Amino acid sequence: MGMMSPRIPRFPVDAKYGVSYLEGIVRGYRNGLLTGANYTNLTQCETIDDLKLQLGPAYGDFLASLPPNPSTSSLAAKTTDKLVAEFRYVRANAVGSLAKFMDYLTYGYMIDNVALLITGTLHERDTRELLDRCHPLGWFETMPVLCVATNIEELYNSVLIETPLAPYFQGSLSHQDLDELNIEIVRNTLYKNYLEDFYQFVNSHPDMVGTPTAEVMSEILEFEADRRAINITLNSFGTELSKADRNKLYPTFGLLYPEGTLMLSRADDFEGVRLAVDGIADYKNFFEAAGLGGGSGPGNMAGGTGSDGKTLEDMFYQKEMEISKGAFTRQFTFAIVYAWVKLREQEIRNITWIAECIAQNQKERIGNYISVF
Amino acid sequence: MSGAADREAVFPTRQSLGLMKAKLKGAETGHSLLKRKSEALTKRFREITRRIDEAKRKMGRVMQIASLSLAEVTYAVGGNIGFQIQESARAARFRIRTKQENVSGVLLPTFESYLTEGNNDFAMTGLGKGGQQVQRCRDTYARAVEALVELASLQTAFVILDEVIKVVNRRVNAIEHVIIPRTENTIKYINSELDELDREEFYRLKKVAGKKLRDNAALDAEMKLKREEKAARELAEGQPEVQEDASGPSDLLAAEEDEDVIF
Repeated sequence: MGMMSPRIPRFPVDAKYGVSYLEGIVRGYRNGLLTGANYTNLTQCETIDDLKLQLGPAYGDFLASLPPNPSTSSLAAKTTDKLVAEFRYVRANAVGSLAKFMDYLTYGYMIDNVALLITGTLHERDTRELLDRCHPLGWFETMPVLCVATNIEELYNSVLIETPLAPYFQGSLSHQDLDELNIEIVRNTLYKNYLEDFYQFVNSHPDMVGTPTAEVMSEILEFEADRRAINITLNSFGTELSKADRNKLYPTFGLLYPEGTLMLSRADDFEGVRLAVDGIADYKNFFEAAGLGGGSGPGNMAGGTGSDGKTLEDMFYQKEMEISKGAFTRQFTFAIVYAWVKLREQEIRNITWIAECIAQNQKERIGNYISVF
Repeated sequence: MSGAADREAVFPTRQSLGLMKAKLKGAETGHSLLKRKSEALTKRFREITRRIDEAKRKMGRVMQIASLSLAEVTYAVGGNIGFQIQESARAARFRIRTKQENVSGVLLPTFESYLTEGNNDFAMTGLGKGGQQVQRCRDTYARAVEALVELASLQTAFVILDEVIKVVNRRVNAIEHVIIPRTENTIKYINSELDELDREEFYRLKKVAGKKLRDNAALDAEMKLKREEKAARELAEGQPEVQEDASGPSDLLAAEEDEDVIF
């Protein structure tokens, strides 16, 4: 389908690197991802040190500085460092619309960081200390400037001026809202605006319209939008989030939009959500599997007591990984950058999970990681 | 026990004998009461020890589940939500009440945990991603804290009971091995001293009586001699006067004897 488009090479054509240098790099990174065999080896480990050793080929340099038997969080931090380093390398070499595309990719993390700073400012913490906790992918140069703000109004104005997130605030949130609304509502409002903007971007930018990028990214973003809508609905049961407010958090695109989201906005329980997604075969299957997993209600999702069934969240991740894997079957598309970042994030989550299971000596559920290669 | 040396410094009088007897009786009653108290406490103590054992094992299991559920949250949310949770928590949801329980006169504090209804400060954490995991994690940790509170309550009771049992046992032993033998010794001592005094007194009385007898006999003899002399003189002159004199000393003797018996 993508081949029908006359405009094919979309990676920067640079005199020095030639066509698609970055595509080559990213595909190389993708080949560096852990495979099913690697994961099997990881799950056999008895200690974190063994795990570290097994990760040697993939993460060697980054894990070298870890002390013996590191904590799982430091392991996660170091593996994230590698992703960040690689991402920054690609970003540094990207020009034109790819650069813009990659910036879009960071906005999601930026939203989390800004939400963190808002929380800190609201509770009158020293926000400078929070900078360390921010996700490095969502780092922007002027972020330390936001720490100067001492009250929420200043912060709001700084965010508007200093960050690319300004359009997501404008029109949806005022500085009073930051004060009054739950930070989660703020975050999800921003995220909804971000997703919509990103979707708009990949479908309207002249370099991407009608290319595999628009096609693959639309699929990914639509899925992301649906996942968020479903999650928000399920997670809002039993909270003070009203149906009207909930409705405002649903992205206005995606496979579920508009009928599904309308039904979601009216759903009162797990069953209501299940009915809302009935029209989409994939989601229907997820809900059936999750519903069979362990009774009814949203609490069915793999209780801490450890049911074997996959949770809805797990199935969403699985689906996301499959879409991401599929992105690599296409040529000349920016979507592989996005897919690679998502695959790497999943890999980090998998490593952390396996490390946790090993550290806590709870091997029964060690196989809960998601591997698509 | 260690014999006559271990007794109280009392004068061996009948009054102190009475006091000592009362004291012994009190000590024996106290001993049996304390012994029973100690037994009741020990029973309770054993029960608590057993429950602590159970609670600790439960704690281990619950904490394991809880920390795994935290790992699940990390997995689902894909990041650290610690700060956010800390900041959004405003009021304690899980609270404890202290009550006092009376076990044979010992006040044991017990902690009772309860959840405040409708207090869910971070209900919306992870709204877009991982919210269920966050809530479930909170629930499992609430259970873990519950177990912790139970354990704390038992441990406090354990420490207090341990202390009280030690004190009670020390008292029981002190009464059994020091106070009772010492009081018994004192009673024995008083008794023996009183017997000794009795014997001395008896001997003295006998001596006095013997002396009086002797004196009387001598007096009688003297009297007899005088009377005979007088009779002899009367025989010569004729005047009966001495009879009054003889009844005086005999009355005195009788009175003295009576007094002695009372004493």
